[in-house]
Amino acid sequence: MTKEATQDSGRSAALEQTRRENLRLFAIFRDPDASESERSAAREDLVHLHLALVEHCARRFRNRGEPFEDLVQVGTIGLIKSVDRFDTERGVEFSTYATPTIIGEIKRYFRDKGWAIRVPRRLQELRMQISGATSELTQTLGRSPTPREIADAIGCSVEEIIEGMESSNAYATLSLDATDDSDDGGPSMLDAIGIDDEALEHVEIRESVKPLLESLPPREKKILLLRFFKNMTQSEIAAEIGVSQMHVSRLLTRTLEQLRASLDHD
Amino acid sequence: MITSGVGARYDVELRLPADGAYAAVLRTLTAGLAARLDFTMDDIEDLRIAVSETAAMVLDEADEGADLVCRFRLEPGELQLDCSTTSAAPTKPDYDNFGWQVLTTLTTDASVEATPGHYAVRIALRSTLDTQ
Repeated sequence: MTKEATQDSGRSAALEQTRRENLRLFAIFRDPDASESERSAAREDLVHLHLALVEHCARRFRNRGEPFEDLVQVGTIGLIKSVDRFDTERGVEFSTYATPTIIGEIKRYFRDKGWAIRVPRRLQELRMQISGATSELTQTLGRSPTPREIADAIGCSVEEIIEGMESSNAYATLSLDATDDSDDGGPSMLDAIGIDDEALEHVEIRESVKPLLESLPPREKKILLLRFFKNMTQSEIAAEIGVSQMHVSRLLTRTLEQLRASLDHD
Repeated sequence: MITSGVGARYDVELRLPADGAYAAVLRTLTAGLAARLDFTMDDIEDLRIAVSETAAMVLDEADEGADLVCRFRLEPGELQLDCSTTSAAPTKPDYDNFGWQVLTTLTTDASVEATPGHYAVRIALRSTLDTQ
């Protein structure tokens, strides 16, 4: 036994136990003589047994702007499908069989349901390529890349990148009467629309901005301060806060719109 | 990149109804032009916000039924925008304004021209690549 194998023996014992439990449950689930309730209990236990696999898969997609819990939920649908379809005679591990199905389900969720506005699949895929290439190039170049550099990296034209940038704005749209994420509910987009801006020019803004800044959620306030007072770029802020640059951009735009709206109310 | 001739300069003009519904068209066009000038993605995001603020300022002053005239000047690594409208009695520019603070932070140069009958906001942005 090698050194690594000794270290792993604890883990592999647990794996072995899971494997045995898996076989036992599948035997019941596939047993034509078992009662309907026995089989459905075995199915349920199988799903619970492999839930960690779903979480493992979902974790890989955590930083793409969808809540982790939602990803676990759709991933679980993939797991249930795998349990129903898995053929124990095939001689492959259940996890080997289920992982692509679970990931497929999560990916489909991003592709089909994650988009607030229906965008052609070609553009959705392009957007993912753009955001992937953007973070990669930001790393290697040490600065935000140009659309041309992204186009070269992906192997498409600058025009396509521009198209993709436009479509990325459709990924997350806000409901008109949606408020911000905080519980006390700030002003909604609806409040910002259709209001007379005339008074804005006469307000002594500097005084009124202060309380507004204070009322912002901590993260929004931090982004705003980093951007306008420390003069950091969106990519730098993204790195500092640990979200994507796209997300910083959306938050910033939304915060500015809220501030404009609030200023006008006063 | 726009490469035809060293120091090549191009002008683009856009005339829109002075109505907030068209601001998105201006934003999209600006992003498209900046991409061709090799601005970075961060620059382009800044530009989107700056153009929104510019349009908001000019729209506030526009006369009923007026047009928004947007003149771009494209130079290697720099984009200038002159956004103007007809305004019978424009208000005096307020440099303490929050929108103005945003605009001056995001642009390399910003100015307002308010004369009876005319209101214009001019902004200029240099590409990060060009200033490095």
